[in-house]
Order: sequence, then C-alpha cells, then structure tokens
Amino acid sequence: MENHLLEVKGLDVLYGDVQAVWDLSIYVDRGAIVALVGANGAGKTTLLKTISGIIHARRGEVFFSGRSLAKLRPQEVVNIGVSHVPEGRRLFSKLTVLENLKLGAYPPRARPLFAKSLERAYGLFPVLKERKKQTAGSLSGGEQQMLAIARALMAQPDLLMLDEPSLGLSPILVRTMFELICTLNNQKVTILLVEQNIHQALKIAHQAYVLKTGKIAMSGRGNELLSDPEIQKAYIGERWSKPR
Amino acid sequence: MLKYLSVGLVAQLLVNGILFGTMYGTAAIGLSLIFGTMRIIFLAQGTIIIFFAYICYWLFTLFGIDPYLSLVFVVPMSLLLGMGIYQALFKEAAALEDKNISLLIAIGLMFLVENLMTVVWTGNPRSITTGYTSLVFRPIGIDLTFTRLVALLMAILSTAGVVLFLKKTLIGMAVRAASEDMVSAALVGIGSHRVNAVAFAIGIGLAGIAGVSLATIYPFDPFYGFIFVLKALISLALGGIGNVFGALLGGIILGLLESLASFFLSGGWSDAISYAVFLLVLMFKPEGLFVRSIQKA
Repeated sequence: MENHLLEVKGLDVLYGDVQAVWDLSIYVDRGAIVALVGANGAGKTTLLKTISGIIHARRGEVFFSGRSLAKLRPQEVVNIGVSHVPEGRRLFSKLTVLENLKLGAYPPRARPLFAKSLERAYGLFPVLKERKKQTAGSLSGGEQQMLAIARALMAQPDLLMLDEPSLGLSPILVRTMFELICTLNNQKVTILLVEQNIHQALKIAHQAYVLKTGKIAMSGRGNELLSDPEIQKAYIGERWSKPR
Repeated sequence: MLKYLSVGLVAQLLVNGILFGTMYGTAAIGLSLIFGTMRIIFLAQGTIIIFFAYICYWLFTLFGIDPYLSLVFVVPMSLLLGMGIYQALFKEAAALEDKNISLLIAIGLMFLVENLMTVVWTGNPRSITTGYTSLVFRPIGIDLTFTRLVALLMAILSTAGVVLFLKKTLIGMAVRAASEDMVSAALVGIGSHRVNAVAFAIGIGLAGIAGVSLATIYPFDPFYGFIFVLKALISLALGGIGNVFGALLGGIILGLLESLASFFLSGGWSDAISYAVFLLVLMFKPEGLFVRSIQKA
C-alpha cells in the first residue's frame, strides 16, 4: 500500500451528460514509469485532468501519498508534488523561457529550491539556457516540449504526468524524449505517461494500462503487453510485430 | 474657421489631444488588466475614476489637501478598494463559466456608484480651482497647461510602474501568464483569485490616479464616468487587449482624434468620430493597431 504513490479508485468522470471515464482504477508505484495507452477518446487525458484537479470526478477517489485529491484545486495539487504537462504544451508563449521557468517554481514548496531547480532544468536542457531571454512562442516544437517539461520539473514534483509528450515531434526527437523520460525516472521522478506512440511507451513502462472508451481494457507490465498478440493487432500494427 | 488656422494652432490641438488622451490611456490599461485575467470589460471603471475625482475634490474642499498631495491617500485607498471590490463582488462570479454574470455585476456597480455620487454630491458639475489651475507655460508659442502636463507625467509614470510590476515581480508574471492561459497557470500553481485580485487592485489603482488627473483639469459630474469608460474601451480596441503600452498609445490616438475633430468639425462630431473609429478598428483590425510590432519585440 505505501508503495503506491498514486491510487485511483472507481473513478467516474462526466462532461455534462457524456461519461468519459467509467469506474476506473489504477495505481502508480513510487519510482515507476506507468503508461496509459489507447485510442483517441479513450479517457486518458480526462484521467490526467481529474488527477490534477482541472475537472472533478462524479464518483471515485484519487489518493496521492495517501492523501485524497478529490477536493483540491490544480494549484493545490501541484503544491503537494503532482505536476501535469498538458497536451499541446500550453506554454505562456508571450513570456520568456526564463519567466516560464520562474512560474514553474510558483508553488510555495518549490520557491526556496528555485536556484537548484533552475540548475537542474538547464542541465537537462542546455538549449533552454541559451534561449532564456526568448519568448516561449518563438521556440521550435521540440524546444517547446522541453520547456513544458522543464517548467513542470521546476515545481519539484514527485509525480510527473506527461500528456502526449512526443506529439508532433520528429522521429529523432521522439527518441530523445523517451530517453529523457527514462533519465528523469532514474532521478527518482515517478512518471505517469499518456502516449499515442504505444510501442515506445510500452517499451519503457514498468506498468501499463490500455484504455478503451473510458474503461481499462487490459493492464500489465509494459513488456508483457508489448508482446501480447491482441495489443499488437489492435494498436501497434504489423510494422512492430517482427521480433527486433 | 479655417482663416484662424496656423501651425501654432495645429500644434496646440495636437498637444491638447495627447495630454487628454493619456487619461483615456490610463483607464484603458486598467480595463486591459482586468479583462486579461477576468475576461470581462469592467464597465464601472469610468465611474470609479469619477468617484476618485470626487474624493480628491472632497479632500481639497473639506480639508484643504492639495490634489497632487491627495495621491498619497488616493493611491493606497484605490488599491485596497480594488481588492475589496473583487473579494466582495466578483470572487464567486469569477469562478463561473458564464462571464455575463460578472459583466452584469460590473454594470450594477456602475449604476450604484453613479447614483450614490448623485445623492452625495448632486448632479451638478464640480471642479477644483487651485493656484496652479490656470498656470500655463508657453515655451514655443504653444500653451502647455501645468495640470495637463502633470497628468501626462502621472500617466507615463504609472504606466511604467505597471509594466515594471508585470515584468519584474513573480506575481506580475503570474498575472501575465493567467491572462494568456488560466488553466495552464493553475497547473503551475497560480490561483485565479490571487491574480484577479491583483489585476483589480492595479486597475482601480490606475482609476484613482486618473481621477486625480481629471479633477485637476476638468469639471466633472457623476454621469461622465460611463462616457469615460466607453472612451477607454475605444483606446483599448486601438491598442489591442493585453498590451499595456498599446493601451496608452490607443488613448493618445483617441485624444488626438477628438481634439482635431472638435476643432475642425464640432464637439458633437468628435464623439461620433470616436465611435466610428471604434467600429472601424473592430471590423478591420480587431487585434489592435500595434499587435505586429509587439510580437516582433
């Protein structure tokens, strides 16, 4: 039990009358990489939004380090150690790179650690140091994704939730992105990863959940799911089915 | 009328336009900040400006406090009032998806303050006459009224102050971030109430400064506030929402237009032309006149 950093129990989430998530339960172990995969509209993004407090569940519970997140607002969730990098990055595009990073350390728990966090961010992404005075909107797509992750890391999260970090990146950058996720994980950041790039996501995930229309269709260790014939057929396709 | 026209006169019209336009600009910056985080046009802004003109008038007539000295009271009072207005009236409504509720509260506040002012100070125009009210400099044949020059100076200083605040402080950055993307701001830990309250404090703070400027220059009555906020709205449309210096420049352009129109056509035409410009800008350049230059900067 105390190994579960995040625990989601019986979650129902509705947008108006439309139910996006049905009785969903997952857990994320401390120190793990957990992948949520599945087609568009499967409820992956909705789940992340519910955890970070942007939307609230109709039923069910979310516990982080044993503490219920159900009533918390996003600014409170980030202050207890859950950072959410939303889909499409959502940087403050008119603000400079450095200003984005400063705001990343806005939560009270992160402010005293600002200098250290900035050093870590620049260490992981030297290009951000070079571009610190540029506006975030002027960065390339890959740089923007790096900034989005760096900004989230400035809050010193224990759990980092990434929504489609590889979306719109070139194949080389996609590989860099997955390497980065592993690097962060080695630095003791627990990762909850939503990805369309199912093959790559399953390869690095310790635990994975396959979502289908708001329910868990399958779950297991990443590499088990990767070799599952059904997964191969449904999500990954012929290209990946050859042994590598 | 054209036979009176001279270079000196045109220069005089331009100077007057610029000096008066800065007051529109100050009001527009307040509107821009409040719109940035709250997504409503704070229609009571002009009426609050008039309210502070009356406060300045009262301090002067009852206690003999010089209007410029009254800034020492008016600025902190207006900052606090801004926070108070947010906490008391808008906090609940700001969290709602439907922005019309906030807008209606602003309109209600406008009428309430307007009528309270009529009860307290009557509907007759008031003005402040000090030793320097009619003080004029004439450096190059152009009349520069002392009070208008001070108004210009106050507008420039307060604009610079707001810009510095937004650029240099963490809470200022948070206000800019929330203006751009409230959800994303919440995800990095920025509470919407905090930034809304700060935006209101600064917006009403600027109204305090504009009120003092106005009181030293013009006679005013409780109903002038609504016209004033419409002018500020036009300045905002000219300058582009979310652009502090743009709003000030928009105000100056509007001041110039009005000054020229009221001389060459008539006072009545000057308002008609202001609103026509408003419509034209919204139709053809809704993002504001200075947007491209800002993006490059």
